[in-house]
Amino acid sequence: MKKNKFTLLIIGVVTITGFWISWVSYNPADEKAMATFISVNELINNNISKRIKLGGLVKDGSIAISEANQLDCNFILKEGSSELYVKYDKTRPDLFKNGAEVIVAGRYTDGVFYADELQTKCASRYEGDLRNESSYNLIEVGQ
Amino acid sequence: MTPVAGSVSLSLALGFGLIAVLTLFIYTKNQDQRLFFVGQRLALGVSFFVFLATFILSYQLMISNFDIDYVARYTSIETPTIYKISALWAGQSGSLLFWLFILSIFSTITILQNQQKHYSLIPWVIISLTITQIFFLILTNYVTNPFKPTEADFIVANGNGLNPLLQNITMAIHPPTLYLGYVGFSVPFAFAISALINRDTSPLWIQSIRRWTLVAWLFLSMGIILGGWWAYQELGWGGYWAWDPVENASLMPWLTATAFIHSIIIQEKKDMLRLWNMVLIILTFALCIFGTFLTRSGVMSSVHSFTESSLGPIFLSFVFFILIASFGIMYSRLDDLKSPKKIESFTSRESGFLFNNMIFVVLCFAVFWGTLFPVISEAVRGYKITVGAPFFNQINTPIGLILLGLTGIGPLLAWRRTGTKNLIRKFTLPIIICFISIILFLLIGYKGYVVISFSLCIFVTTAILSEFYLGIRVRKNKFDESLHNALINMISKNRSRYGGYIVHLGIVFMFVGFTGHAFDREKEFSLQIGQVEHLAGYEFELLDLSESERPNHYAWISKIKVTDYQGQFITNLYPEKRVYFHNNPDVNRRQPHSELDIYSTLNKDIYSIFSSIDNQKQIAFLKIMINPLVRWVWIGGYILVFGTLIALWPRKEE
Repeated sequence: MKKNKFTLLIIGVVTITGFWISWVSYNPADEKAMATFISVNELINNNISKRIKLGGLVKDGSIAISEANQLDCNFILKEGSSELYVKYDKTRPDLFKNGAEVIVAGRYTDGVFYADELQTKCASRYEGDLRNESSYNLIEVGQ
Repeated sequence: MTPVAGSVSLSLALGFGLIAVLTLFIYTKNQDQRLFFVGQRLALGVSFFVFLATFILSYQLMISNFDIDYVARYTSIETPTIYKISALWAGQSGSLLFWLFILSIFSTITILQNQQKHYSLIPWVIISLTITQIFFLILTNYVTNPFKPTEADFIVANGNGLNPLLQNITMAIHPPTLYLGYVGFSVPFAFAISALINRDTSPLWIQSIRRWTLVAWLFLSMGIILGGWWAYQELGWGGYWAWDPVENASLMPWLTATAFIHSIIIQEKKDMLRLWNMVLIILTFALCIFGTFLTRSGVMSSVHSFTESSLGPIFLSFVFFILIASFGIMYSRLDDLKSPKKIESFTSRESGFLFNNMIFVVLCFAVFWGTLFPVISEAVRGYKITVGAPFFNQINTPIGLILLGLTGIGPLLAWRRTGTKNLIRKFTLPIIICFISIILFLLIGYKGYVVISFSLCIFVTTAILSEFYLGIRVRKNKFDESLHNALINMISKNRSRYGGYIVHLGIVFMFVGFTGHAFDREKEFSLQIGQVEHLAGYEFELLDLSESERPNHYAWISKIKVTDYQGQFITNLYPEKRVYFHNNPDVNRRQPHSELDIYSTLNKDIYSIFSSIDNQKQIAFLKIMINPLVRWVWIGGYILVFGTLIALWPRKEE
């Protein structure tokens, strides 16, 4: 077999997959396939309504869990000096707590961010400060 | 004192490494045998000091010497012993030392194994391996030293303890397995570079690394599967693969390595694809380092990235160094890499392998593209676009299915050219059975990719089984053996071929499992004791809620009775909500953790998560998922390991 037939074949495969990858990159089938990551400030100022992603810290003491349904919760997401009121009604990750670093995805309407995805940045606690003996109750030791 | 010994060991290792590289380099110029022995022994010395440092750190972790920052951060007095040891690879500096430790084991084995052979190749092999060691030694010496003393203005009486998510036996073995894979590829890479520099690009170097490559590939595969298994058991989102950057980081070298172990067969048998094999092994090794970089730098926000760190630029520079140096050497040796033979026909096994290789590389590029898309989009458009699992699934599903199809077609093709008669003879049965299954699946009501995937699985299985059947029939007729003996003899006479087929069968099982994902169902609800909820024909009744205080956590335990639509009892599930460090007066330091319960059958898994509890009203908030066919993925994993072991098993005469 001639060599250039194979070269053609390789070029063919590369072209087709190149086309396929760029096509999916521009027209993802699922709206959750891609999300623009923006800052809280940009979101509030520009009032963007499409689905987006945000990152920030959970404001201390802002987590409120509904009495009627423990899955419903709301909290304030802080990014720098900007704050955003977030609602979320699914199972929360174990590391979600006051002060935790989180990433949320969802939509913004009328001053409320309805999150459909909530991720915590893992292990922040484990890279945290060392335990200070004087402020720590060693009751768990030796059990 | 002992921590200092650890630090000193690392410094000495670095010094030994530099001198070893220098001596061996001079040896390659003047061929003074004495210099070779000096260099070789210095290289062994590097590994020795790395072993020493690793044992010192392990010992300090065992005795909980909180004067070392690393020990204080990743263990506490109450951490169980096994996790004190696994803490060695739980954090950043420890895991880099551990990388180095494995590399040193491999380097020592390579040097000792090749004392009597491969004289021409071995000096540059040692140089390449030692340079890799030096890179990690620079990191552990100057950037993130595992023996750094604790800096605090109080006495650290107890450490922070290991993340409860990592206190799981799978998580204790997943990183080492993955590392054995990552690091394992440094040996074939070192041989490749040495072959290039020595202008010895005949199949010789391939023969010397075939087994190494398979071992590394086996560990990488196992590491990836174990990671998925851990995520499924512990993380509680009901899946085993999220296309997380770090998961992708381990998949990318796996894809190029898989291409490599296929295409070296052609070089071994036909002396073709010399250049291509070089490209593949260089890419694989670079991707292994890149994978370590993705894991250890904060460049991607991922559940795996332990911390933002200064490692990023250094790692990236090393990856660029590898790529530029390797491809530079390769470019200067292009003449030697011209294969003497050409592929003759489209319907040859060679071209089947070539197709398979192209698809693997394309798949790797697709994963690479998606992983770096956020970074690329930020650089090009000025804002970050994150991509999620649906993106990867959409791009990779068709490519993966083509690959699955090739798994069935490739092995049926003959070397050089498959004659029309032979084509018809070999493909008739698999194609007929495949068509029948397509019709059946369509009649059942399956659609789209599900039909294609299941039918291809049946096609590939038929093709593999018919290969086994033909082989056995030949032996039975020729040697008059019993079925059992014919099977055993056939496999042991041609281990790599039939081992490979068994691995393919494992891949088919995994694809069946992946396809099951299309039928996933889930529901979140709350229950009081005695209440019921339905999902996918199953009834879930909360029978009981209890609590229990255990050595290192407090647990709320739910008891859920599962019955099917006929009222038949299936199982009781006991998902738990736990709080680790529950005695800590600082509420923010307590660590909630959902311990799942999974009822697993061949057909489907019932996956239960205890999300939250309302203590006053005694309400449990639960999430239930029905995940069909997940078990096939794990079974496929076992088959894959079994097949690889057959291919690896040494022959008696060797």
